[in-house]
Amino acid sequence: MDEREVITTLKILIIGESGVGKSSLLLRFTDDTFDPEQAATIGVDFKVKTLAVDGNKAKLAIWDTAGQERFRTLTPSYYRGAQGVILVYDVCSKQSFSKLDAWLNELETFSTKHDMVKMLVGNKIDKEKREVSKDEGLKFARKHHMLFIEASAKTKEGVQCAFEELVEKIIQTPGLWETDNKGITVGSGGGANQSGCYCVV
Amino acid sequence: MDVIVEEHVNPDDLKKYEALYRDQERRGPPSDKATFDYAWCLVRSKYLKDMERGTSLLEDLFHNTKDEGAKRDYLYYMAIAYTRTKHYDTALKYTKAIKRIEPNNRQATQLENYIKEKMKKEGLMGMAIVGGAALALGGIVGLGIAALAKK
Repeated sequence: MDEREVITTLKILIIGESGVGKSSLLLRFTDDTFDPEQAATIGVDFKVKTLAVDGNKAKLAIWDTAGQERFRTLTPSYYRGAQGVILVYDVCSKQSFSKLDAWLNELETFSTKHDMVKMLVGNKIDKEKREVSKDEGLKFARKHHMLFIEASAKTKEGVQCAFEELVEKIIQTPGLWETDNKGITVGSGGGANQSGCYCVV
Repeated sequence: MDVIVEEHVNPDDLKKYEALYRDQERRGPPSDKATFDYAWCLVRSKYLKDMERGTSLLEDLFHNTKDEGAKRDYLYYMAIAYTRTKHYDTALKYTKAIKRIEPNNRQATQLENYIKEKMKKEGLMGMAIVGGAALALGGIVGLGIAALAKK
């Protein structure tokens, strides 16, 4: 990809309870791989990917945080400067869903950009024993002004969309990001849901 | 991987978790939690002394726990610290130890690849310096020979 066309670098976070599939969503998105035995993340992991949205290329610097208790105190220090966050729960775990409020509180406390864009992702929809309905997820997202999508890192469903919609919304939020190269204006795309995704505000 | 290895701790975080650790230390042995938080900050410090102190704290934590998951986490940050201080062979021992606990650990593999790449680059650089020195030495000897020939 041509570096010069990249209009901005965006910092994206992935947070949520341990074992909900944060790293799996990331690796499906960046490497198009899936490991059913994915090890629990140690501390934080980092990946870069360039994404084209509405004719604009953005470089994503994605920070994948450990959900494990041992890292809880220090992972919030990575929230600083993030423009977008992907908050993940497991649709087969009511417990991971009920902890969402706590994660939002953490974000409120430690993030430095208060108009950061939030995407709620209900992962593991390929599994059978669902404990959280799509409606519950949708209601929670609406209540907290978040984008929402259900996804499966295993089958790929919704994964690309989650990142695309998040980035599109960030680009559309004035003042949230800065251009890497001065003088470039945002492309004419504009319209919501151009990528044919099913996300809801 | 370079971002993870080269990333620096926020100085305020380091101060905060050092204070918490010291506070517990005054009242008895600090908890694993306080020790780990402090050590995680130390290994990401800019200063060699801090990084060394961080690895020694992690080593103690490692020897005092039976929890395999915790051991894995401590090993990883020791490996990061040794990579930062350019003790690549030691760092590789630690990444191997992680793989004995979790053979498919992706973060350990990433770090291993990064270390090997660094060793290759810096090894080549070392050879270039030695090569340069040999040339210079050759020059001096050559001059000496020239001087002798003049006599």
